[in-house]
Amino acid sequence: MEFGPIWRAALRNKTGPVLMALQIALTLAVIVNAVFIITQRIDNITRPTGMDVENIVTVQSFGFGDDFSLAQSVDEDIAALQAIPGVVAVTSSQHVPLSGSGWGTQLKTSTEAGAAEVSGAQYFVNADALDALGVQLESGRAFTPEDVDFPEHYGVPISQIIVTRAYLDALFPDGGATAGATLYDNLGNPITVIGVLEQMHGAWVGWDELENVLLAPRVMPAKSIYYIVRAEPGQRDRVMPQVEETLLATNDRRVVKSLRTHSEIKDSSYMGDRGMAVLLAVVVGLMVVVTGVGIVGLASFAVRQRIKQIGTRRAVGARRRDIVRYFLVENFMTTTVGVGLGAVLTLAVNYWMVVSFELERLDPLYVPAGILALWLLGILAVAGPAKKAASISPAIATRTV
Amino acid sequence: MLEMRHISKVYRTHTVETHALRDFSLRVEEGEFVAVTGPSGSGKTTFLNIAGMLEDFTSGTFMLDREDVSNLGDDARSRIRNEKIGFIFQSFNLIPDLDVFDNVDVPLRYRGFTGAERRRRIEEAVELVGLSSRMRHLPSQLSGGQQQRVAIARALAGAPRFLLADEPTGNLDSEMADGVMALMEDINAAGTTIVMVTHDAELAGRAPRNVHVLDGLVQDNPETANITPIKSAPATLAVAGS
Amino acid sequence: MFSYYLRLAGRSLLATPAMTSLMVATIALGIGIFMAAVTIYYLMGNDPIPHKSDVLYAVQLDSWDPAQPYREDLPEQAPWELTYRDAMALRESDIPLRHAAMHKVSLVIQPAREDLKPFQTEARLTDGDFFGLFDIPFIYGSAWTREADETGQRLVVISASTNDQLFGDADSTGRILRINDEDFTVVGVTEDWSPVPKFYDVNNGAFDESEQIFIPSGVGRELELFSSGNTNCWKDEDINSFEEFLGSECAWWQYWVELPTQAQRDAYQAFVDAYVGEQKSLGRFGRPLNNRITPVHEWLEVRQVVRDDNKVLIGIAFLFLVVCLFNIVGLMLSKFLGKAPQIGIRRALGASRGAVFRQQLMEVGTLGAAGGVAGLGLAWLALKGIQVLFPGFEHLARLDPTLVGIAIASSVLTTIAAGLYPAWRVCRVPPGAYLRL
Repeated sequence: MEFGPIWRAALRNKTGPVLMALQIALTLAVIVNAVFIITQRIDNITRPTGMDVENIVTVQSFGFGDDFSLAQSVDEDIAALQAIPGVVAVTSSQHVPLSGSGWGTQLKTSTEAGAAEVSGAQYFVNADALDALGVQLESGRAFTPEDVDFPEHYGVPISQIIVTRAYLDALFPDGGATAGATLYDNLGNPITVIGVLEQMHGAWVGWDELENVLLAPRVMPAKSIYYIVRAEPGQRDRVMPQVEETLLATNDRRVVKSLRTHSEIKDSSYMGDRGMAVLLAVVVGLMVVVTGVGIVGLASFAVRQRIKQIGTRRAVGARRRDIVRYFLVENFMTTTVGVGLGAVLTLAVNYWMVVSFELERLDPLYVPAGILALWLLGILAVAGPAKKAASISPAIATRTV
Repeated sequence: MLEMRHISKVYRTHTVETHALRDFSLRVEEGEFVAVTGPSGSGKTTFLNIAGMLEDFTSGTFMLDREDVSNLGDDARSRIRNEKIGFIFQSFNLIPDLDVFDNVDVPLRYRGFTGAERRRRIEEAVELVGLSSRMRHLPSQLSGGQQQRVAIARALAGAPRFLLADEPTGNLDSEMADGVMALMEDINAAGTTIVMVTHDAELAGRAPRNVHVLDGLVQDNPETANITPIKSAPATLAVAGS
Repeated sequence: MFSYYLRLAGRSLLATPAMTSLMVATIALGIGIFMAAVTIYYLMGNDPIPHKSDVLYAVQLDSWDPAQPYREDLPEQAPWELTYRDAMALRESDIPLRHAAMHKVSLVIQPAREDLKPFQTEARLTDGDFFGLFDIPFIYGSAWTREADETGQRLVVISASTNDQLFGDADSTGRILRINDEDFTVVGVTEDWSPVPKFYDVNNGAFDESEQIFIPSGVGRELELFSSGNTNCWKDEDINSFEEFLGSECAWWQYWVELPTQAQRDAYQAFVDAYVGEQKSLGRFGRPLNNRITPVHEWLEVRQVVRDDNKVLIGIAFLFLVVCLFNIVGLMLSKFLGKAPQIGIRRALGASRGAVFRQQLMEVGTLGAAGGVAGLGLAWLALKGIQVLFPGFEHLARLDPTLVGIAIASSVLTTIAAGLYPAWRVCRVPPGAYLRL
């Protein structure tokens, strides 16, 4: 390993190696940070929701006219939808989870002044809500048809709810809360938790409190409502058009709109994350290509400039693999200087992004991974020119042209 | 210790077949100082390349240090060049970005010596050519003669069996040329075999033995006096790529 | 001499097609990606109403919870929306040239035409001044009066597309449109208007299309229409009816005013502060005085319409461009030093250092121009690709003349900057350096 001579030679002819080291430093900083952001976004998109998203279809019903009664309509509609073959369960809800629209609320654990309030997403649902959403009950019980009420105005307090485990833990940080616990709404009315869900996601995917969800058995006195229809696996696409037909057949004094799959709604909510991940991936890919090409170019140039030198080395006894090794070592050293600088730059860029954009702090393991990747890239890129160099004939040394 | 028998080298392109060497035989004993002379195009460069194992040859045998090196692979040839042959080139061929120490170091790196061993050999060789005070200088900071002496140090550092010199004074003025020749004579006097290729008759005259090459054949060697020269077109230059 | 250098540059570039293509491709990539990111950033932060953006103001009053700010992460900010009481109270002021309280509503439209089913749409409930405020031109008819706002007359203004859809492109003023089972009279038809960004309501989709149907604000009270945009309530209030909701501390109204002069702006600020002071004495507005009237361009910044993701993308795209430029420097160095023998001859024949330098820069500049053009093509492709990723943002992916100019100029300039060092290196080749063999 000719580290010493290579280093000293590089010091005397700094331009090429310095350029390359800087380029590698920049490349490391960008790809490490970009890959980190990408993995975070992918984590966001793929995290479990607790619901059976792939098999759910949602639709909105918009009544008009003074003679439209939501209370009557909802029972009829749910019965009709349930009758569609392939449907597992149906519930009404004033909003659809993960859609970006929802109702935020706050619960607290006591009526004392200054008691901490914890935010969550609230859904007013019907009796079969748990089956329709595909969520799992951890303890307690589900709603029954008798639980569902139809108040005439908005201010009526709710008395029974089902919440997610995450919401309970946020309310009772010391743990140990179970079904049967008593919570209070922001007016101080007591509410009994009759069931606890393993997991469910609320309305806004960018919200810190996404896992805090509460379900209340009620149909609100509004003109419009959503139906959440869960199909048996594989039946969703067949069931979907029948949902709209069935509702219009049941009652056409209303607008039936926004028939969508829950998957589509979820994808739409994550559009920003997905788009960003793809864009960054493209840039990372291009950057790797560009840097790789740059290494190939510079190495090829170096080989061309040093034809005589390479021939001489061969003449004095270097084997082909010694020449290859020489270029690999040279590239390795340049890359090492580059990634050394790059590691610092990476952390600096990440720090700046954390401060300016509230991005997360980089997991330090990403840096060595990036360094390894660039070492690998360097070796792959230099291999071609190095092999070409190795094929230079030792007879070049005696040429006088 | 160097014995070439009936060596021929043919370059073939699409259209032309060139006989750079034809039935070339030469024998050099240990400790000799031989000058190989001949006009340009005579094939002496080809001889040089073959003797230095820089090229292979079409037919014949080549014994080096009692070892048959006729049909060796590239790795084996490299090893022999490294351990047994010391090269001195017309244009010195020092690596411009390396100082004297690192230049002399180059062949030693392919040998597997320890760092200490290499250092010892380099210092000895550079001392021998009288340039110890210039150890950390770059070639660009040295005169032509000094550069050639560094090249000689590089050739000697590995204790080769023989030195192969290609127009060693070709790029030097007469004073420097004199110095280099004197150095080579000293080295030869100390026991190192030297084969020197040159077209300079005066220079050749300083070597105890001369061999003349013409049209790919050796002329003055007593051993080949029986070979009938074959008249044909002169060898074209080594553009017919090797 | 210029055309001579140009010819030389062209010939030199064409002499090494592989190297030249590689360099053009690298520049194009860097410029293309960078320009795509810049375009999106530029259009997202675009001033949507430049001729009036400094006289139009969004009004905020801090009626929020004394115990905590509206936004934990922006503690100095007041809520984005007003309560009903405050919105109606502000309308009393005659200082602004125009004013409009507003919010989104969901309405069911029941077209008279037999072949059209009833459909639900997002509409805007607002004051008649809305159209003059934002300079929305009318094709037929005009806006309703302030009196109509007060009394909640059943009037409606529709956009040209909606007019086409419902009335077949005729002058529909005076005709009846049935909305939520009530008869509304069409009083005006506007040209289609959809500013990017939708600055007057950035709460739900700053890049959404504008609403196409407008009704007077008084109608909301009569028909008990809630906002279909954001509604935020902090106070524990027992709300059992729409009336109680109107009287609550829930914030759900947006408020815009036009204040053409600085004097009016100051006067209005004083009016607002006085109003809030008065309300404080009635027990409301427990937070410190924090009433803001913010002009459009500042509003867009405050509301962070250009998302952080865009800024990160621009930063990364810029770094990518820098890496591409490093590549170019390396490639140019190789190419130029490879031409050193030729340069040596030229110098021996009398070319000065400056002439060599200029010749190389000309070559570099040509490269930059070619790269810029190719880069624009790539940027256009990239924007098309982005439309696939972000459906609904078609209007964001346009290259207007300014951006084209920026692309070419930055390409040429950055390439020349990259080429300065290689050009300098090569013009130092001594004359006749390579003549000796």
